[in-house]
Amino acid sequence: MQLPPPLETKFNELAGRYPVKRSALIPMMLYAQDHLGSLGDEILEEIAKRLGLNFIEVEETLAYYSMLRRKPAGRNHIQVCTNISCMLRGGNELYKHVQKRLGIGHKEVSASGTFSLEEVECIGACTGAPAMQVNYDFYEDLDPDKVDAIFEQLQEGKKPKPSAVTAGSLHDRLPAEVPVISKRFGIPNAHKIDVYRKHEGYQALEKALTMTPDQIIDEVKKSNLRGRGGAGFPTGMKWSFVPKDTSKPNNIHANADESEPGTCKDRPLMEMDPHQLIEGMVIAGRAVGSHQGYIYIRGEYRYIIDIMDAAIAEAYARSYLGKNILGSGFDFDLVTHTGAGAYECGEESALMESLEGKRGYPRIRPPFPAVVGLYGCPTVINNAETLNTIPAIILKGGDWYSSLGTPRNGGTRLYSISGHVNRPGIYELPLGFPLRRLIEEVAGGVRGGKKLKAVIPGGSSCPLLSAGEIDIAMDYDSVAKAGSMLGSGGTVVMDEDTCMVDVARRIMHFYAHESCGWCIPCREGTAWLRKMLDRFHEGGGREEDIPLIDELSKNMLGRTFCPLGDAAALPTISIVKKWRNEFEDHLHGKCAYNAAELIAGVH
Amino acid sequence: MADQKQIAFTIDGRPVTTTAGTLVIEAAKTQGIEVPSFCYYPGLSLQAACRMCLVEVEKMPKLQTACTLVATDGMVVKTSTDQVHKARKDMIEFLLSNHPLDCPVCDKGGECELQDMTFRYGLDKTRFVEEKLHTPEQKWSPLVYYDAPRCILCFRCVRVCDEGMDVKALGVGSRGVLSVILPNKPDELACEECGMCIDICPVGALTSGTYRYQTRPWEMTYVGNPCAHCSNGCKTTLSVRNNEILRANNRDHSGINGEFLCAKGRFGYDFTSNAERIRQPLVRRNGKLEPASWEDALEEVARRLKQAHVGRGPAAIGVIGSNHTTNEENYLLNRFARVTLGTNNLDHHRTADYAGLAAALGSRAKDSLATMADVYNAPAVLLIGNDVTQQNPLVAWQIRTGVRHHGLKLYAINSLPSKIHRQAKIAVEVAKGGEHQALRWLASEHGQFDVKTTEALVQLKAALEAEKDVVVLFGADIQGAAIRDLVSLAARFGGKTKFMALGDYANSRGAADMGILPDRLPGYAHLSDSAERARFGKLWGGEISATPGLTARAMMEAAAAGKLNALYVVGANPLKTFGVAQPDRLAGLELLIVHDMFLTETAQRADVVLPAASTYEKDGSLTNTAGEVQLTHRSIDPQGPRSDFDLLRILSHQLSMLGLGTPIRLRTPEAAFDEIRQNVAGYDLAYANLLAGGSELARATSKAPEAAYDVPVGTIFSSQDYLFTSGTLGRYCSRLTSTNEAKQIPWTSSPSTQSWWQR
Ligand SMILES: Cc1cc2nc3c(=O)[nH]c(=O)nc-3n(C[C@H](O)[C@H](O)[C@H](O)COP(=O)(O)O)c2cc1C
Ligand code: SF4
Ligand code: SF4
Ligand code: SF4
Ligand code: SF4
Ligand code: FES
Ligand code: FES
Repeated sequence: MQLPPPLETKFNELAGRYPVKRSALIPMMLYAQDHLGSLGDEILEEIAKRLGLNFIEVEETLAYYSMLRRKPAGRNHIQVCTNISCMLRGGNELYKHVQKRLGIGHKEVSASGTFSLEEVECIGACTGAPAMQVNYDFYEDLDPDKVDAIFEQLQEGKKPKPSAVTAGSLHDRLPAEVPVISKRFGIPNAHKIDVYRKHEGYQALEKALTMTPDQIIDEVKKSNLRGRGGAGFPTGMKWSFVPKDTSKPNNIHANADESEPGTCKDRPLMEMDPHQLIEGMVIAGRAVGSHQGYIYIRGEYRYIIDIMDAAIAEAYARSYLGKNILGSGFDFDLVTHTGAGAYECGEESALMESLEGKRGYPRIRPPFPAVVGLYGCPTVINNAETLNTIPAIILKGGDWYSSLGTPRNGGTRLYSISGHVNRPGIYELPLGFPLRRLIEEVAGGVRGGKKLKAVIPGGSSCPLLSAGEIDIAMDYDSVAKAGSMLGSGGTVVMDEDTCMVDVARRIMHFYAHESCGWCIPCREGTAWLRKMLDRFHEGGGREEDIPLIDELSKNMLGRTFCPLGDAAALPTISIVKKWRNEFEDHLHGKCAYNAAELIAGVH
Repeated sequence: MADQKQIAFTIDGRPVTTTAGTLVIEAAKTQGIEVPSFCYYPGLSLQAACRMCLVEVEKMPKLQTACTLVATDGMVVKTSTDQVHKARKDMIEFLLSNHPLDCPVCDKGGECELQDMTFRYGLDKTRFVEEKLHTPEQKWSPLVYYDAPRCILCFRCVRVCDEGMDVKALGVGSRGVLSVILPNKPDELACEECGMCIDICPVGALTSGTYRYQTRPWEMTYVGNPCAHCSNGCKTTLSVRNNEILRANNRDHSGINGEFLCAKGRFGYDFTSNAERIRQPLVRRNGKLEPASWEDALEEVARRLKQAHVGRGPAAIGVIGSNHTTNEENYLLNRFARVTLGTNNLDHHRTADYAGLAAALGSRAKDSLATMADVYNAPAVLLIGNDVTQQNPLVAWQIRTGVRHHGLKLYAINSLPSKIHRQAKIAVEVAKGGEHQALRWLASEHGQFDVKTTEALVQLKAALEAEKDVVVLFGADIQGAAIRDLVSLAARFGGKTKFMALGDYANSRGAADMGILPDRLPGYAHLSDSAERARFGKLWGGEISATPGLTARAMMEAAAAGKLNALYVVGANPLKTFGVAQPDRLAGLELLIVHDMFLTETAQRADVVLPAASTYEKDGSLTNTAGEVQLTHRSIDPQGPRSDFDLLRILSHQLSMLGLGTPIRLRTPEAAFDEIRQNVAGYDLAYANLLAGGSELARATSKAPEAAYDVPVGTIFSSQDYLFTSGTLGRYCSRLTSTNEAKQIPWTSSPSTQSWWQR
C-alpha cells in the first residue's frame, strides 16, 4: 500500500524506534488514523506486514483502544468530557448542547462529514472543566456560548485557538505554595533547553554523573519520596529492587498515561517543563544502570508528545541524552510512546503490555517489573511527576527534600483541584498540607457560597470524604487513616447540591468503560453496577438495590486481578455508606441535583 | 530443568510434600481437593483471570489465586473456609449475570463446567434484574460456531490456538464487559480447523458445526478409538446414538494424544454414514457391477479365485493390503496370501520405510524406537523431510508442546516448507529430495550445497554434536540406505538416540509389522529365514515360498502387461495410488476383487466388490507410526458391510471346500491378536493395558542387523496428505472438505495460493 509521504516517514521512524518491532503497532495505527481518517483493512494489513504480525494480532489490539476506530470520524472529531470534574461544572449540559447543535449523537458523524461527536472519559483537563477536545486540541473552561463560537470557526474551516493548559488552571503563586517541581511554571519558554539551563536545568544531572548509582539511590531514599502515580510506594526502595547482576538491559519507564479522573498534573509538567522529566529520567537511568528510557504518554495528549519529542531532540543535541552523556561515558536513550485511549494502561503492567504493542491487560505478579518488566527486562516504572522531582532531590539533597513534607512523606506534590471551587487549578504544596486549607484557602472555597458536601482527595478511585472529614493532613498516611487515599493528587470538590447517586453512577460508568475485561469480578461487576446505578438514578430503584450496590462492590473488592476493581468498588462503597439517605430519597422520587435527566455515560 | 527440591506445606490441615515450584491448585488435586477453576488449564500459560480458584493463605491479607500461587515451605492454605465459599458464590453470580439461561438448548448442557460449578458452588437465586447483553450466534466456519453471550472469557480457546496450535487464529475484541472472542477473518475463520478451541471451551460458547443441536450428551454412548486417518494414533471418543456417530472429540484425554486432536480425528468421522457407502456386495454381470447377496458374491469370489489359481498359478495372483485395516486383518491377509493362495505377491502402499528402520536398527530397535511421549519429552528432536504440521499433526503438537514446556530444541532438514520450522533452532531448507544428501554431508562433509545451506549445515552439525538424547523423525524420502546413514550418523550424538519413521495412515505401521510385504513375514523376518518360514508355515497350515513376490507397483505393472491374472485388493485404491488415472492398467487382469467401503477408482473396475466395515465399526488393533498399539472397537454396527476379518475368514472356509488351503480357525480378532502376541516379534504386549484403553509399544526387531535392505525407487512414498485430506477415505469426509482451507494445498509456493499460515 502506498502511504502518504509524511506517514511513510513516520512509519519508518516508528519501526526503528523500539528494540521489538511490535511496539510500533499502536503508534502506527494512531498516526495512520490521523492521516487516513480511519483504519480500514488495507492499512491494517500493511501494518501487519511491516511488523510481521498476524492480522488478528493487529485487529485485537486495535479493538482494545478507544481512540482507534475502524470507521471514519468527522473532520472535526468533537470529544466532550462528562467525567466527574466536568460533570460537576456542567459537562452534561455542554454535551447535550453540542449534541443538539450538531444534530448527532454519541459516535455519530454529521451528514457532511464535518463533525463527529463522542462523549469521552476524563481527558486530563479537569481543572479547566468542562472541557472538550476537537481532534487533538483542548478547549477548556467552556460554556455553551464559548462552544458556539468554537463551532462557528470550525464550520468556516478555521482552527480556533486551543486553550493553553495555563488558561484556567494556573494562578499567581499563593503564599502556601512551595514550588519545587513547578518552579519554572510561568517562566516564558521554560520548555526550551536554554531557558531550562538558565534556571538550574541539567545541573543535577551533571552532579549525578559524578555520583555512584548507590549514592543516587541513597539520596532518593533519604528524600522519602513516594510515588505520585497513586500507590505512594517509596521510590528509592523501588529503585533498589532492580537486580544489579543481570545481563539483561534495564529500562526506565515514565508513566504519563494520566487518566485518573480528576487528575491533570503530569500534563502541565510536560508542557511547561519537559526537560525536568528528561533530566529526572537520565538520573534514574544512572541510578539503576539503565540505558533506555520510555515515556508513555496518553494518546489524547498529542501536543504534549510533540513538546516532549522536541525537548528530547534538544537534549540529544546538547549531549544530555545519547552516547557518552557530557563525556561521562554514560549512555542513555529516550523515546516517547503514545497510548491510544485506555485508562487501564496507566496500571504499570498493562502499560508495559501496551508498550509492547498489545492489548492493555495487566500481568501476573510476581515477577514484579523491577525484575521482569518491559521486554522481559528489569524495569523501573515511575509516574512522570515522581521522576520530575529527582533533579531537585539530587541538586539540593534528599534531606532537604524530605524536610519539606511530613515524616515518611517527603517533599511537595502537585494537586489538581477541580469541581465546585472558586479557583480550580494546579498547585504545588508540601505533603501534609491540611485538606481544609487546600479547599478553602488555596482553591478559594466552595463556589457560590455553597456548603461543601463531599471531596475526592486523590482521583476518582479514592473513597469520598464527607464535609465533616476534611480536617486531615494531605499525606499518604493521614489520608489512609481517614479511610481514603492520597492517590494521584486529583482533588475533586462537590457542593451541597450534588447528587451523590449521580456521582456514584458516573464513577461506575468510567470504571465499567475502562475495565479491561480480563477478570470476572471487575468485568461483570462494574457492568452490573453501572446498569443498576443508571436504573436507580432514573427512578427505577428498589429498596433492595441499596444493600446490593454495596454488596456487589464489596464482592469485587480485593478479589480482582488488578487494582481497577478496587478503584471501582471503593468510592461506591463510601458513597453508599455516607450518603445512603440520598439513595433512599431517590426511591421517593427526590434527587439533590434537580437536572437528573440521564446522560448515557461513555459507552 | 525445574528445581527438584521438596517442600512441605498444608492444605486444609493436610500435610503435603511436593516439588518446589508446584502450584497450589495442582498440589490440592493430589490430595483429592478440588479447587474450582475456569481459566486455569494445565499446560497453557497462567491467567489468574476468572478468580474462581481463590483460596485463603495464612499471613496473606487477600485471597490468593491457587492457579498462580506457588506452594512454599510452611505455607498454610485453606480451601474450604466461609470466605472462600463466599468468594466462589460471588464469582459465579457475576459470571451468570450476563449469561443466557439457555442450558436446555445448549449443546454443552450436561457437560458444561459452568453448570457444574453453579450446581456445586453457586447461588440458587438470581439477583440480576438488568437487561442481559445479547448478540447473535456467529458461524465462524462450517466447523466452528461462536455464541458470545455464553462465553465466559476464560481465554482458553485463544491460548490453545496460539500456544498449543501455534495458529493464533483467535483474538479478543473490544474490552470490558463487551469483550468477545474474535476469529481472524470475520467472514470465515482461516485456520487449521482442529477444533481444539471447541474442546477446551468450558461452556457452550464454541460449538462444533458437525454436532450442534443434534442431541443431549446423556443420550449417547462413548467409545474411545484410535483415529481412522493419519498414522499418529490419536484416541478420539466417538459419541454414538441410535447406531450413528454424532460426534468425535477428546473426551477424557486418556490417549497418547493427551488433549490433542486434529480436524481429521475430530470432524472426519462422517465417512461412516456417507451416502456413497457400499452396503451390499456388487458383482459384475454383463459388464456392470450389480448388487448381489453375500452368498452369491462370496461364492463368486471363491470360485473365480480357485479358477485363477488353477489357471495361471499362484505366481499370477497378487494381493494388495491396506494402510487402514487392523493388525488382525493384515495378519490374516498375510496368511491368506502366502498360504491359502500360495503367493508372495503381497504388498501395500508403503508410506514409510518401517522395514528399513527395523533392518538398520536390528536388535537395537528394542530400545531405540521413539514413542509419541518420547517426542514431547526429548531435549532435542531432529526432523528430516516431513511437514509434520500437515502430515503428522500429533507429532507436531508434541514438538510444539515440548518446546513450550521444557525448551525442546527442534532441528530440521526439510524440502517441504513447514509451520513447525517456526519452532526450530535450526531449519535447513533443501531442494526436493535433498534430505539424504544433507545427511551425508552431516556424516562426512561430502556433497555440494549453496553457501547458505552449507552455513546452516555447519551450524546444525555443531549443534547436533552437542546434543544428548535426540529423537530422530524422518519421512518417506529417507528410506533404505538413507536410514542406514542416518542411524550411523546418530550414533555420534551423545546419549540415547531414538527413531520414528513417519508414515501416512492409521495402520501404515501395522501393515508393515504384520508383513504385508513381498519379502517379509510378520515381525520383519525375511523370507530367506527358513526357520521363520517354517514357523509361520506350521502355524498357518501350509508352506511358504522363499522367493520374494512383487511389490505393489510391480503388481500394477505386471497387471498392465498382462502378466498378472488376478488381483485381490483389501482396503486400498492402487489404481489411484500407483496408476494415476490410467484405468487400462488393469486391463490385463482376469479377476479383480476389492474389499472397500466406497466405489473407489479401483473398486469401479472390480469383478466383485465386497463392502467392508470401517475402522470405527470393528474390533481389532492398530499400530501407529511410532509402533504404539491400541485397540479399536466396534462403536456402531456397519449395517450391511462386514469386517475384512470376517470376509477373509469366511472366504478361507469356502476356498478350503474348493480344495484351496485350510480354513482360518481364528474366530475373533481377539483370538487372532492372541496368536499375534505369541508369534510376531515385538508384539508380546500387555493385553490388560490395551483392554483398559492404553497403548503398548511394539518393538519389532530383526534378530540380527541385516545386510543392506533396499527397495526399488517408487515403492515407498508418501501421498502427502495434509490436514484436510486422508487418502481415498478423506474424499468421503464431507465435513472435512467443507472448509475453505481444505481447498488450499499447504506446500504451494505461489503467493496467490499461499496457504493461510504463510506470511
Ligand atoms: C487502573 C490503574 C491506573 C493507573 N493509572 C496511572 C496513571 O495514569 N499514571 C500513573 O503514573 N500511575 C498510574 N497507576 C499507578 C501505576 O500502576 C504505578 O503504580 C505507578 O505508575 C508507579 O509510579 P510511582 O511509584 O512513581 O507512583 C495506575 C494504577 C492502576 C491500578
Ligand atoms: S480488575 Fe480485572 S477486569 Fe478490571 S481492569 Fe483489572 S484486570 Fe481488567
Ligand atoms: S479450530 Fe483450531 S486452529 Fe482453528 S481457531 Fe480453533 S483452535 Fe485455532
Ligand atoms: S469461547 Fe469458550 S474457551 Fe473461549 S473464552 Fe469463551 S468460554 Fe473460554
Ligand atoms: S493427528 Fe492423525 S491420528 Fe491424530 S487426530 Fe489427526 S489424523 Fe487422527
Ligand atoms: S477532563 Fe473532564 S473530568 Fe478530567
Ligand atoms: S483458575 Fe485461578 S483465576 Fe481462573
